[in-house]
Amino acid sequence: MLNLPGHRGCNCEGPTRRELLRIGSIGMMGLSLPHFFFWRDQAHAGAASKYAGARGWESAKSVVMIFLQGGPSHIDIWDPKPDAPSNIRGEFKPIKTRIPGTWIGEHMPMMAQHLDKATLIRSMSYTPNGLFNHTAAIYQMLTGYPPDKVSPSGQLEPPSPADFPTAGSQVSKLKPPTDPVLPFVELPRPLQESGIIGKGGSAGFLGKAYDPYRMYQDPAKPVKLEDLSLRKDIPPERLKDRFELLKGVNGSMPDLQKALKDYAVDEYYGKAYDLVLSGKARDAMDLEKEPPDMRERYGMHTFGQSLLMARRLIEAGTKFVQVNWPSVANGDPEISAWDTHAANFRPLKNLHCPKLDRGLSALLEDLDQRGLLKETLVVAVGEFGRSPRLGVSTSGNSNSPDGRDHWPYCYSAVVAGAGIARGSQYGESDATASSPKEKPVHPADLLATVYFALGLDPDMEIRNHLNQPRELVKGTPVMGLWS
Amino acid sequence: MLKLVHVLSVAAVALSLATAALVAEGTHSAGSGQAEQPRVTFLRDVAPILNKVGCTAGACHGAAKGKNGFKLSLRGYDPQFDYEALLYDLAGRRFNRADPGRSLMLAKPSQEVAHGGGRRFAKDSDYYKTIYNWIAQGVPYGDPAKETVAELRAEPKEIFMTRPGETASLKVVVRYQDDQTRDVTRETTIESNVPDVASVESDTSVIRGERVGEATLLVRYQGTFGAIPVTVLNPKPGFAWKPLPQFNYIDRLVDAKLERLKIQPSPVTDDVTFFRRLSLDLTGRLPSPESVRALLDDPTPSRVKRAKTIDKLIASPEYVDHWTVKWGDLLQSSRKYLGEKGAYEFQQWIRDAIASNRPYDKLVRELLTARGSSYDNPAANYFRVTREARPAMEKTTQVFLGVRMVCAQCHDHPFERWTQNQYYQMSAFFSAVGIRAGYEVGEEIVFDRRAEYEMKHPKDGRVMKPQFMLASSVAPVPDGPQRRDALAEWLTSKDNPFFARAIANRMWSYFVGKGIIDPVDDIRASNPPSNPALLEALTKDFVAHGFDLRSLMRTIVSSRAYQASIVTNEWNANDRDNFSHAIPRRLSAEELMDGVSSAAGARARFPEVPEDTAASQLVDPHIGREGFLDVFGRPPRESSCECERRSDFSLPQALNLVNGRTISDAVADPNGRVARLVLSGKSDEAMVDELYLAALSRLPTQEERQRGVTYLSNAAKGSRAQDLLWALLNSQAFLYIY
Repeated sequence: MLNLPGHRGCNCEGPTRRELLRIGSIGMMGLSLPHFFFWRDQAHAGAASKYAGARGWESAKSVVMIFLQGGPSHIDIWDPKPDAPSNIRGEFKPIKTRIPGTWIGEHMPMMAQHLDKATLIRSMSYTPNGLFNHTAAIYQMLTGYPPDKVSPSGQLEPPSPADFPTAGSQVSKLKPPTDPVLPFVELPRPLQESGIIGKGGSAGFLGKAYDPYRMYQDPAKPVKLEDLSLRKDIPPERLKDRFELLKGVNGSMPDLQKALKDYAVDEYYGKAYDLVLSGKARDAMDLEKEPPDMRERYGMHTFGQSLLMARRLIEAGTKFVQVNWPSVANGDPEISAWDTHAANFRPLKNLHCPKLDRGLSALLEDLDQRGLLKETLVVAVGEFGRSPRLGVSTSGNSNSPDGRDHWPYCYSAVVAGAGIARGSQYGESDATASSPKEKPVHPADLLATVYFALGLDPDMEIRNHLNQPRELVKGTPVMGLWS
Repeated sequence: MLKLVHVLSVAAVALSLATAALVAEGTHSAGSGQAEQPRVTFLRDVAPILNKVGCTAGACHGAAKGKNGFKLSLRGYDPQFDYEALLYDLAGRRFNRADPGRSLMLAKPSQEVAHGGGRRFAKDSDYYKTIYNWIAQGVPYGDPAKETVAELRAEPKEIFMTRPGETASLKVVVRYQDDQTRDVTRETTIESNVPDVASVESDTSVIRGERVGEATLLVRYQGTFGAIPVTVLNPKPGFAWKPLPQFNYIDRLVDAKLERLKIQPSPVTDDVTFFRRLSLDLTGRLPSPESVRALLDDPTPSRVKRAKTIDKLIASPEYVDHWTVKWGDLLQSSRKYLGEKGAYEFQQWIRDAIASNRPYDKLVRELLTARGSSYDNPAANYFRVTREARPAMEKTTQVFLGVRMVCAQCHDHPFERWTQNQYYQMSAFFSAVGIRAGYEVGEEIVFDRRAEYEMKHPKDGRVMKPQFMLASSVAPVPDGPQRRDALAEWLTSKDNPFFARAIANRMWSYFVGKGIIDPVDDIRASNPPSNPALLEALTKDFVAHGFDLRSLMRTIVSSRAYQASIVTNEWNANDRDNFSHAIPRRLSAEELMDGVSSAAGARARFPEVPEDTAASQLVDPHIGREGFLDVFGRPPRESSCECERRSDFSLPQALNLVNGRTISDAVADPNGRVARLVLSGKSDEAMVDELYLAALSRLPTQEERQRGVTYLSNAAKGSRAQDLLWALLNSQAFLYIY
């Protein structure tokens, strides 16, 4: 029962791919075909907005969303409270940063030096609507809507075609790239809590054509990209011939084409054709092209190399790269999940923070040096923070005496680029980092900020699978980040 | 936000716990001025309000951990618990008997004091008054022996609308244990499973037809529920039923529904299309060019030819490969759980069962009663996948009964009859299963433990004796270590209403792409069959034929419904639920891979296995991981859910087909079909014919042949023929069963 919006066969959106193919080879000289496919989607965006002209509006060309799934402990990483009682302040010492008066946890020394390029938000906050678990929070953060369907067990349902689209999918539909590159890439693996994979990370009712491209490989290891590179024995002209033939074979079975019209097979073939011909996507994902010291700078681990790949993709024209923390949201903290119920300090110190510190600081520095930070919005955030008090249960999970439970009421985020104030702090938490003292930022507001920076009005009307009008996100852009 | 809890007024004068508990037992008396009020009890009057206004919803106080320190049972399945929670939490401050209006239980939902859940009812509402009176009367619980709902009756039992835009009203009456009845329409929760066909106007019992189609309303009240089918007919004038030939009882039952819904079915597809569809569905392989030619040359009547073809394919070795994959998926045959040798032995056991067409009930009994070495009796591997009693029970019920019990692990199933007790009673059948190391490397022994095997309830540790989830003639249920033998008997019995039905439904879905109940492994009252009579008939037929899977398949594929064309008419173009026409289905990962190999005459190559091993012959999903097969949705066999096998289409798949190694290498294989054709010196016409036959299992049309010949004659024949085969393998006619 597929119902793909945007496939209504309406002429106002420009010619469809099939019509273009029907035009024949006259319009398809050389490699000019690619632009047709991407151009078609572009007609959607660009309506006048009340925000037009505001500071920060349309300041970003692309987005790197670093999603620290699992819920990193804000008080140990970004928002230390050295004066709080020991069962709150924890084991780590604060260190000075390049933001005057702002201190962060001692295991983030490189970020302390590179915060001069970013704004640290310390007032992320929301009150969960019912569920206290990861997937509900992830879904809210990345789609802007609370999940509407929770199974009786309290678990979320797996991704469904009725889901609200994840931010990257919205962006790849509303702000498609102008170059033949992958519009939306998710690295290194989909979001996951227990057995539920990809909830909050799919195109939902936009249709699978807007799902992220997933490589299913570890960027820290040699990756196979044969799908994305034109084979030596198939020069571009020959691929074009093959597509002409294919068009003929499909065209001679109109009944089958009609029966398959909702399956978007043609659309996928069009995109595959563009990607293979241009070779840009493959080059972007080829980390062998980076000098070894650059790779080392990001950290020779899955997370660091994913960030490096994100930079290469952004450079090539990809609109939205989401780098997920590589561990399952509710995984074992001793292995590297942020979900530190049972152990907090040792793994943070030895495993998590060093990777995050190195990778994130490298990305900011690298983007800045290349002049890309001006037009790239970088967001690093998780689905919530962790309980300021040690060893208490807030989510119903059990916690070890040195563990911290889920805490959505107050946490931190790092935002940078696209003209956002450099070396600044936004918002402040109370004495125990339990709730914002001022300027609370709801995750939907942060998402609205992302859309705003791209020149997408958060109040823009979109249509869901039932063709009902919905707002892009029910949030208000945090325009104070640009002051 | 948490601080809101502390804003609570302490002004409310506490009603002592003891008083509350005492008056709970049927004190009818009321405070001054309340004497005229009807008697109000928690069970009969108050609990339904809590459900109706959403207090017990999963997102509110019904959440597993409650909300802001106050927890109710999910959707009020446990009124006793809810009553006690209201009474005892906060030291009884929820009630102020002297001044009921100041009770938190009224002040919060009416938003007199801050309430995280907002305003649930107004101060002048009936709900407010009812709760007010209940508090004034001393918060009586009510008598469960009398005031529990015995039966829910919703009228009408079925809703028919002649066009979208019509409305209908439901009336819901319940009968209590004491035979009193009450109209509870207002407090009943009504939900539509397809709101864009039939929607429920919020807070009413008014149903509106939105578009042509069918939906089911789930009607719930205090642990009882009913399902009301809604049909919205096509208002277009001019429908006249044109009967088509009916090949067997399936078509009679499919047609009966179609005629009622004013849907004209599509006629059967042509012989060659049918042959390809049948071959893929029964054997997972494309027909060979020779067999297509033979079919075309065979002068016998179509029906006879088709019957012959069906028998031939069911008897083929590829049939065994294909169904071994399906059952390997469901039984999760994988080295992850079984080790390399274990997975191989289990696969061989499955192969034998399929090759010998072992009756399905026998096959399942063998699995459930398996004991001994995983090498000597590979059926014992069944228990090595789940290892523990509860997952073994969950898997057994989902795979063989199509029922998902997992919700009942934590609480009574809110929409179903399954209770938490039943979850543990059913699990108890597996609690004596023990697994210990064997003598050889990787061998394990499945045995019945003789001590300490009882299943305990997690709440209070009481022993849960095994008990069937449905009433059964097997009584008393044996509770010794070999208890699972009794389960196997009960489960596979002819009288078990779930067992044969679940597999009949599952098998049907394999051939038409959708279960009569869909998803096939989520059978529940709120997910009713689209054609109950058809499912019933298939089930009966299957049982009558001694649980013979091949006979069931033969019946399905012999029907006109299965053989229908994908071409639709104006009446059935939008139907996707009633089997009025065929719906294209993407070839599975293994089918695609084997299809490419056979069409290109090239060998598939997998690491660690003998050359020429087909994708459908691989032992488990660890072979060829992260390659073509996984991109196309081969299930990792980490769950027995049918949903694990993906059949959608995506960008990585398109990239792989366009430019990946599988097709590119196959068409260019130096020993492949193209190379051999070029060397054979055949005419261009013959080459085009051959390539169409090999890839699309049909001859090209005259126009297609001409276009192919033109293309071949244009340049180097070898690479041109490769291009043609590439285009055929990338075409929709190759990628889909149609």
